[in-house]
Amino acid sequence: MPLLAALHERFAGERPFEGLSIAACLHITAETAMLVRLLRAGGAAVSLAASNPLSTQDDIAAALALNHEIAVFARAGVDRRGYYRHIELALGHAQPHLVIDDGGDLVNTLHTRAAALLPNVLGGCESTTTGVIRLRRMAAEGALAFPVIAANDTATKRMVDNTCGTGQSAVDGILRATNTLLAGKTVVVAGFGASGHGVAEYARGFGAQVIVTEVDPVRALDASLRGFRVLPMVQAAPLGEVFVTATGSVDVINADHLTVMRDGAILANAGHFDVEIDVRALAGLATQVHHDVRPHVDAYDLGDGRTLLLLAEGRVVNLVAAEGHPPEVMDLAFGIEALALAWLAGNTGKLPAGVHEVPADIDAEAAGLVLATTGTSIDTPTTAQLAYRESWRIGS
Amino acid sequence: MSADQPPYLVADLSLAAFGRKEIQLAEHEMPGLMAVREEYASSQPLRGARITGSLHMTIQTAVLIETLTALGAQVRWASCNIFSTQDHAAAAVAVGPDGTPDDPKGIPVFAWKGESLEEYWHCTELALTWPGGDGPNMILDDGGDATLFVHKGAEYEQAGGVPSPSEDDPEEWVIILDRLRNSLADHPGKWTRATGSIKGVTEETTTGVHRLYEMAKAGTLLFPAINVNDSVTKSKFDNKYGCRHSLIDGIKRGTDVLIGGKVALVCGYGDVGKGCAESLRGQGARVIVTEVDPICALQAAMDGYQVATLEDVVSTVDIFVTATGNRDVITADHMSRMKHQAIVGNIGHFDNEIDMAGLAKWQGVRRVIIKPQVDEWTFPDGHGIIVLSEGRLLNLGNATGHPSFVMSNSFTNQVIAQVELFTKTAEYPIGVYTLPKHLDEKVARLHLDALGVRLSQLTKEQADYIGVSVDGPYKPEHYRY
Repeated sequence: MPLLAALHERFAGERPFEGLSIAACLHITAETAMLVRLLRAGGAAVSLAASNPLSTQDDIAAALALNHEIAVFARAGVDRRGYYRHIELALGHAQPHLVIDDGGDLVNTLHTRAAALLPNVLGGCESTTTGVIRLRRMAAEGALAFPVIAANDTATKRMVDNTCGTGQSAVDGILRATNTLLAGKTVVVAGFGASGHGVAEYARGFGAQVIVTEVDPVRALDASLRGFRVLPMVQAAPLGEVFVTATGSVDVINADHLTVMRDGAILANAGHFDVEIDVRALAGLATQVHHDVRPHVDAYDLGDGRTLLLLAEGRVVNLVAAEGHPPEVMDLAFGIEALALAWLAGNTGKLPAGVHEVPADIDAEAAGLVLATTGTSIDTPTTAQLAYRESWRIGS
Repeated sequence: MSADQPPYLVADLSLAAFGRKEIQLAEHEMPGLMAVREEYASSQPLRGARITGSLHMTIQTAVLIETLTALGAQVRWASCNIFSTQDHAAAAVAVGPDGTPDDPKGIPVFAWKGESLEEYWHCTELALTWPGGDGPNMILDDGGDATLFVHKGAEYEQAGGVPSPSEDDPEEWVIILDRLRNSLADHPGKWTRATGSIKGVTEETTTGVHRLYEMAKAGTLLFPAINVNDSVTKSKFDNKYGCRHSLIDGIKRGTDVLIGGKVALVCGYGDVGKGCAESLRGQGARVIVTEVDPICALQAAMDGYQVATLEDVVSTVDIFVTATGNRDVITADHMSRMKHQAIVGNIGHFDNEIDMAGLAKWQGVRRVIIKPQVDEWTFPDGHGIIVLSEGRLLNLGNATGHPSFVMSNSFTNQVIAQVELFTKTAEYPIGVYTLPKHLDEKVARLHLDALGVRLSQLTKEQADYIGVSVDGPYKPEHYRY
């Protein structure tokens, strides 16, 4: 992760978080370890909880706690109550000035069960689309008490993290879980946002015929012009052999769809929460459920000769059945987040409560640093070009 | 040659300057031919060769012709199709790089766009008739017409005369017989002498190769032949990469329709169909494939295409392309059930893949010419379809066929095959041959630099390990590229 390595070195010298405490709620993976160590190197005291009860890699959690002065509250496979308890513990331990969230559960907890800590909080970053949507709803109701930078929502991150990272790793998760050959299969991708677009492109790259479902006409047109077949889910359901949800919405695959699916259809979710596939409806339709027929594959026997295969219990398949985004992707995502957090630390009180974009120069700085680590050089505009860009007088 | 025979026959010599400019552009895109010119500049392996060429008289062919002359050959040329001549190319070849329209110094070329069949066979005979009345000693053929003409001439000389045509003979055969009858009367024994001195023919295309194998099998082939068509660097490039390029070009020039988001149907998933499907997908179309061969059908499915029958999808497709090599693939009944303004085109060799005759006979159908090679056919129910190039090869009818780079591969094979047959005559007893693999590899090698390709080199140990020579050939004969 060359970007984080470069920032580690810079922050160790500049110490932008000196005297500050940071609470983070993130998938506990090797990439996250790099981020929290870099924050620590920049002078912060760091508490860390998991942002998903299934994605914690216990060895990483142990190493951070033992060797790297991070207060970790996470264990793989805890139940829902344990999951929220860990977040509360991390918040209580940190008494945070800054927060990093992934999905909004930490910020939500901070505004509800841990509201006493709110006055101390200067601001934070949110890593994922689902979290940002939630935060915007909070802000719209006036409930958000501090400024949050939507770190997921930069041009660079959408491109690299959602499209490339989710695209590659969601397909990776499906392959690891099922070992199915994608070539020749019909793959239905629900949602053609940045992530769904990536999943659709990578599935096509494997030789699948890809059908896209959408509710947004702009994205549907985009999918269509890129050569994907666009259908309503109710029409796609009987055609698909592999289904991947990437919408950020709820009940995208519901009982109506499940009842018409083909025998052996594979159901996977690449969205953040486990609500995109109506797992409860699936359980209701099934006469029998065979858990873990392969790791992360549950077979739902519908009693009419058809069996549907649900991956990762409907949770985010790229993290549960594979290893999440490859390090290069998380390098950029976390690099932007670290830069944004350092900027927040140096500009406290300048932003009102609410959701804010990452300043464009931070996005550009991160992209530039990544290019530099790969040895890629780019052009610099000339003075004449800069002047032309600023001018309205020069035409054809 | 009788004194009244013309030195060349082209449409308009004043087009030569335009043709020369296009030839210069094409030379840059034909690195194989230019490399061959350089390689053989001093050794002049075709010195003494009198080559008669019968091949589409285009700009790319002009670069081929001038490569043959650069290697020392004398050349006479006719086109192998009545419509395919580019008149500016023919003019530039007749004028030559050093001549002017008032003082042409090029080679004898007999070709113009829109010949009648009589004119076509006259041109072929002129190209085969050398000063002094001799024949050529080499033939470069595309479709086999020049080879057919000299073989039939010799056959009828042996038989003592040209047979009378029977009533159901095609018009073209009657014309050939008439021409040979006159030739035998004026120049007895000419074609027997010619076939005796011809060292061999190099054949460009499937149809001509088929004829050659038939003649070899029947024992009537009079000189050796090299089948250029089946060189990998010819057939793959023509069929896959050439059509991948020119299909889209033809559709766009014909209709200017946005391909992204459309549903395109490709009938046939051979090399041509593979190239077509890939380019349509690359433009953002959703591509459906039809196939009769289970292997090709499975290939298409593995490549991510929907494979369906024409009947099942005919009413949902926006663009139809036939690439099967078979007849009656799209019938008038299919066309009657297509979407309004569906585009229908063919990229297979012959014009029978789409049943145009059946369409014309459909009760109440109306044809409106939108522009040359683009017709709208309207059915009585009011829906119309757009047919490209009247069902003939749309990449040639609506666009300009294969691009120079593709033809450079084909034609470099031609030149190398000519050098083989002319300089190693003893090694090729009468029969039909393909170019040895090392020469196929050489053709590819000559095109790498232009693309900036850096080739890796086998070590001696690696070469031994897989049992090949360090310098190739790298693959066994049966290898499928």
